[in-house]
Amino acid sequence: MLKELYLIPLILYIFSYLVFALKDKKYYKFFIYLIYAGFICQTIIFFTFLGIRGFAPPVHIDRFVFFNAWILMLIVVIFSFFYKVEYIPLYITPLVVLNLIIAFFVPHVHIKPVMPNTDKIILFTHILLILIGDSLFALAFIVSLIYIFQERKIKSKKNLKILVMPSRSGYNLELLDNINYICLKVGFPFITIGIVMGIYLSSSLFNTFLIVKPIEIMSLITWLIYAILLHERMAKGLRGKRAAVFGIIGFMLILASLGLSFYFFPAFHGFE
Amino acid sequence: MDILIIGLNHKTSNINERETVSKKLLTPELRREFIEKLLELKDEAGRQLIKEIAVLTTCNRSEFIMNLSYWTQGKGGHAIKNYIAKYFFDDLEKEKILYMYLNEDAVRHLFTVASSLDSMIIGEPQILGQLKGAYNEACKFNTSGQFLNKLFHKAFNCAKTVRTETKIASSAVSVSYAAVELSRKIFNGLEDKKVLLLGAGEMGKLTVKHFIKYGVKNINIANRTAEKARRFVEESFEDKEKTYLNVIDFSEYYKNLPNSDIVLCSTGSEDYILKYDDILPVIKMRKQKPLFLIDISMPRNIDPEINKIPNVYLFDIDDIGKMIENNIEIRKREADAAIDLINASVAEFMNWKESLNTVPVIISLRNKIKNLLESELSRYITDEKEKDIVVNSLTNKLLHEPTMLIKKSSLNPDGINSIKTVKALFNLDAEDYSEVSKKHISETVSELAADSEYNDTKIKLVK
Repeated sequence: MLKELYLIPLILYIFSYLVFALKDKKYYKFFIYLIYAGFICQTIIFFTFLGIRGFAPPVHIDRFVFFNAWILMLIVVIFSFFYKVEYIPLYITPLVVLNLIIAFFVPHVHIKPVMPNTDKIILFTHILLILIGDSLFALAFIVSLIYIFQERKIKSKKNLKILVMPSRSGYNLELLDNINYICLKVGFPFITIGIVMGIYLSSSLFNTFLIVKPIEIMSLITWLIYAILLHERMAKGLRGKRAAVFGIIGFMLILASLGLSFYFFPAFHGFE
Repeated sequence: MDILIIGLNHKTSNINERETVSKKLLTPELRREFIEKLLELKDEAGRQLIKEIAVLTTCNRSEFIMNLSYWTQGKGGHAIKNYIAKYFFDDLEKEKILYMYLNEDAVRHLFTVASSLDSMIIGEPQILGQLKGAYNEACKFNTSGQFLNKLFHKAFNCAKTVRTETKIASSAVSVSYAAVELSRKIFNGLEDKKVLLLGAGEMGKLTVKHFIKYGVKNINIANRTAEKARRFVEESFEDKEKTYLNVIDFSEYYKNLPNSDIVLCSTGSEDYILKYDDILPVIKMRKQKPLFLIDISMPRNIDPEINKIPNVYLFDIDDIGKMIENNIEIRKREADAAIDLINASVAEFMNWKESLNTVPVIISLRNKIKNLLESELSRYITDEKEKDIVVNSLTNKLLHEPTMLIKKSSLNPDGINSIKTVKALFNLDAEDYSEVSKKHISETVSELAADSEYNDTKIKLVK
């Protein structure tokens, strides 16, 4: 299908940033509306693809990235709806924009139908769960970054006049930490089930429980990091800066493993 | 007759220097001791340098407002400044953090301070109360005479005018408000947060009021004397606010720390109340939930090292001041209008002061006439008492118009000529004039007071 369609939400997001750059409180509302408009565009495009393809996982790399962008945006919209904080879309849309740009420039390559025998629904759920989990962790990553910057500002007592948002909830540390925690709590089960499904898929395909590939090891390390973080938070009340650092490290690992799986093993997870 | 202000504030010195000074001026006894030492200062001729003095200490400034004796010259002022630097710092180098204002500058400075234009947070209301406290104390110590009385009352008046006629205080960002804003940067909503107030003072009261306004419903107050805390709650808060307040025993404050999210400290203690080692276990007991400590006391009551503990945020008065600096720009516009008002008040006061300079002329004129009348009348009236009455009433009647003219003439720049004319007409010798001024000045000041608003001041003082 037309890759140019990706440009519509992309332009909308960039335009929303221009509106935001005016730094006028009157326009903050428009900024949010434009973000929502971009999301609606993405949704329409996504369902058009889905309608054409039927209930099937995206099998082209560009669509896969686009799908990723849509999931990410979905989570942003849900969170900004519940928490009424404008900075979530403000800081996470760059990630979405990046995804859209990649989707636009990546060649329309068909991912090899590596698993013709496997259950398509399981494959689709596997991808969906991992993407939702990763997007939540991406949000946690952004929130952690804001937390660390904000915390440093407050601790060092410098330049405390921070961009005032119309909602006035501002960037308070407690809220940032809460969002981080919720992302972790919700994202972790998704990732866990996703990884279990991936293992199931690979074992049904190769008849071995685990194939030692870099991507597998990376995923497990990431999962372990998040597991430790969740445990520490629940049992010992780990909070604040250390939790934020954990979140950042975890997401870096996710990015690394995704990068590895896409760019170093284009034939999907290294299964040839 | 010269007004001299020596002091240091948040602009000229850092928190440690101010702390050193305020520690030595902490209690009325310490201040009294300092004042007595200052009053003992003598010039080469062994005459007292300072006539009247008031000491103002707040968390952001320490100032000494003095009325110098007539003979004190510029050298004397510097001697006083050196003495102060030595008294507090044992180091003459520190002299450069002290500022010194004389006469008109001093009056302007005091009025600016009173109007809260010189405060760290422009327009904050506490300074006027603190200034009133300083004045009352000077009255109590008997170191405030007619001159400082007038000066202070004029300053209070000026501050009131500024407050009512400009918007400087209406949108005031105070330390207390800044504290609330800061907590909103750390906590998500203040409704379920617990505040612990250590020390029952003015600053604490304002901050607590702000916290209640922003939804805090659970406030514990601990003071060394529980009685004072109870009285503080009784006197300072409205009934609705009282329902959120809870006075606890001072010994229990440490037990309360793990339950408190925000701790406000404004006691008059000289030492740290909360030390690094105290807070470490507390934050563990809180399961790393953030703890916000605000230290609005001077000297500081919370160890600054505490800020290094993760999830503990400590702000002292200096930090809050820096934070608020951004808002100063907005206030500058209002401050300009206020400066005009202050200048008007300063001019008024300086006129009054100038009019005092004509006093020696009036005195010598009166003396001359009196002496003449006395020598002439003594030939005809033998009764001393009767003679005195006649002489006095005649002098008053004769000199009423000239006195008024001299006083008026001092108010405009050309007035100096008419004073010269009077001197020439009656051949009032310059030497004689200065001699008189030393001798009779206090007597005349009270005489003058009879027909000026000065009287009001005196009456107020007596009351």
